[in-house]
Order: sequence, then structure tokens, then C-alpha cells
Amino acid sequence: MSKNENKRSFRKLGLRIAKATLITAVAGIFWLVLWLLISSLLVDFPEHLARFAVLAWALLFFTFAIKVSEGTIYKYILIIARAFFLIVYVAYATNCGVLTIKIEEFTLTIEFIPLLALMIVINLLAMARGMLQAIEFTSQSPKD
Amino acid sequence: MRQTIGALGWIIAILWITTLLLPVTVAFSLMKLLEAKNMGIQEPTISFSNGNFTLFMPFYINNTGFYDLSDISINIKIGRENKTISTSSTQLPNVPAGTMANSSCDISFSLEELVLKYSELLTNDTELDVNASLRLRVAYAIAFEASMEFTTHWDAPLYNLTIYDVACNSANRTFSFSISFDNHAPYPVNGTLTANLYNSINALIGSDIKYVNVPSRDKFNKSFAITVDPTATMTPNGVIRLYFAGAQISEKEWTFP
Repeated sequence: MSKNENKRSFRKLGLRIAKATLITAVAGIFWLVLWLLISSLLVDFPEHLARFAVLAWALLFFTFAIKVSEGTIYKYILIIARAFFLIVYVAYATNCGVLTIKIEEFTLTIEFIPLLALMIVINLLAMARGMLQAIEFTSQSPKD
Repeated sequence: MRQTIGALGWIIAILWITTLLLPVTVAFSLMKLLEAKNMGIQEPTISFSNGNFTLFMPFYINNTGFYDLSDISINIKIGRENKTISTSSTQLPNVPAGTMANSSCDISFSLEELVLKYSELLTNDTELDVNASLRLRVAYAIAFEASMEFTTHWDAPLYNLTIYDVACNSANRTFSFSISFDNHAPYPVNGTLTANLYNSINALIGSDIKYVNVPSRDKFNKSFAITVDPTATMTPNGVIRLYFAGAQISEKEWTFP
């Protein structure tokens, strides 16, 4: 590999990282606004806020990693991993679709199992889509 | 394959939009339902008749939200010191959007049941633990259950029930005694008050029945006179048992020289 080629690939990687950082920053602003809205509602429930923060950071990581790995097979692996993470984490964080909030003698239980089932179906579809994209990517010749 | 990937992408996008919009619209629908007293409880009434305590609590739901309400149920549990006195469960039919439903929640328990579990509730004012919960499903998808625990004051219908001035006239084999109590309850106490006299071998030797009608927050004080059955065996001691509406409510031993 010549010095020029090395320079070009570094520049390409740098551009990709810059683009990924920009997109992640935009996504970060969206999650921050959502955090500000939710934190005022869930101020007395730090455990729910912590779970939301984990979800937001994980999705920001996936956004960055997917953008950086653009044009490689890793992008599709990360898309499948993100869908799998969402299935597992959303089911865990929402206690399998049953959330309970207790304020002194008052208890509010919200049960959204059908909605959680729909989220799981969506993520399974996203995994299937990621797999199809990966197959398509590997079947393409470098010329394509 | 590209078309399949594209179609999957569209399906995923549409499903995500639906999944995220549904909770938001359900929240708005609930807010519409909770504002302007679209859901509430009317004044409850408590009564006591035929040896049964009954709490009647009418309620209404005016569904001004966007979605139908289903699986509506109201559960009430009354207890004391982790013991259940009575439970009530009311199921309501579905309330479609834009309609109103009326129903009532009835709690009933017999005096006999109460005496068996908590006889002191008849004669002592106390605090009862109440657990009330309301459950409903919005848009057939998201269910909400709000439950609340609180204490309520119980006013005894036979507060400070006392048998006193027990006397015996051996010449004419007559027993006399007085019974008093205060009706602290918010309802009148009416029914038959039976006083049975037993000897030391637990054989019934005499009885007296009086009809009682004590208005709410009023006092009761009456004398009883029991002529002992001529064929019965008189013993120097025994017991007086009081029955109200068929349930034994008090017992007092008597002794004469």
C-alpha cells in the first residue's frame, strides 16, 4: 500500500467518524429533549430514569457504530445486534410489559403487554431485514 | 431481494409510528376522561337490616376519550390487622367512546360473619383498612390499575354493650337484668334481641325476646325479666347469652349464693 493510499483511507475514516459523530449528536439532542421531558415526570422514580438513560446511551452507541461501519458487513451485524438488544432490554426494563409506580399508599400499574409484543415483532422484522441486507451485501461483487 | 428489504423497511416504519403514537393518544384520552369529573363516585349509603350490613356505592363513567374502555372492574377489600372482613368485586360492561355507564359497588356482610371474625367491631369503635382498586383497559391494548390503601373509621352499632344489675328473686324464680348500649353507627339498629338464661350444666332455663329499634347516635337501655321454667334445674351459677338477629353478641356469667 502506498503512502497516498494510506492517507486517502485515513481521510475516508476520518470523514466517516465525523459524519457518525454529527448524526449521533443530532440523535443525542433528541434523546436529551426526551430525557428533560421524562425526568420532570419521573423525578421520584430514579430507577425508571436510570433504565431510560441506559436505553438512550445504548441506542446512541449503536447509531455511532452503525454509521462508522457504513459500507462494511459490521453495519448489518450491528443492526441485528441493536434489534436483539431492544427486544431483550425493553422486555427487561418494562418488567415484561407491566410497570408499577407506588406513591405512598397509591399504586398505579400500567400493563401494555400487547404493545410490547408489537415492539418485539417490529424488532424481529428489523433483525430479518438486517440479515437480508447482510446477505445482499455479501452477494455483491466489489465492482457492484 | 431489494424489494423485500424495502417493503420490510416500510412495514417497520409504519409499525414503529403506530406503536409510539398509541401510548400518546391513550394518555390524551385518559386525560380527557379524568378532567371535568367524567368519572366519579356518588354518595355511598350504609344500611343494616335483617342481620346484614350493606354499603352501596354508585359510580359513573362518562367516556369522553378517543378509545373504548374495556375490562372495567372495581375491587374493594375491607379488613383489619391483615384479616379480611369483606371483599367486593364489580365488573362493568365495555364503555364505547362517547357513551356513559352507570353502576354500583355493593359490599355486604352478615352480622354472624362479623361476630365470628371480629366481635369487637360490634361493641368498639375502631379503624378499618380499606384497599380499593379500579382497573380499566383503554383501546383494548393498555390496561391501567389504580389502587389505594386507606383507613376508615368504624362506628360500632352496639358500642359499650353492657349487661348489668343482674338480680334473682328465688321466691318467684325470676331473673332480672338490664342491657345498655350506644348506637354510634350512622344507620339505625333494628332487630330482635334475645336473652337466654343457662344454668351451670348449660341447659336453657329461660328466655326473653325484645324488638330493638335504636336510631343512629342514640342510646338503648332496657330491663329484662326472665321467669325460670318450673321444670328446669336451678343452679347457683350460670350464664346469660345475648343474641342479636340470630348471632351471639355477648355473654355474662351470673352467680347467686
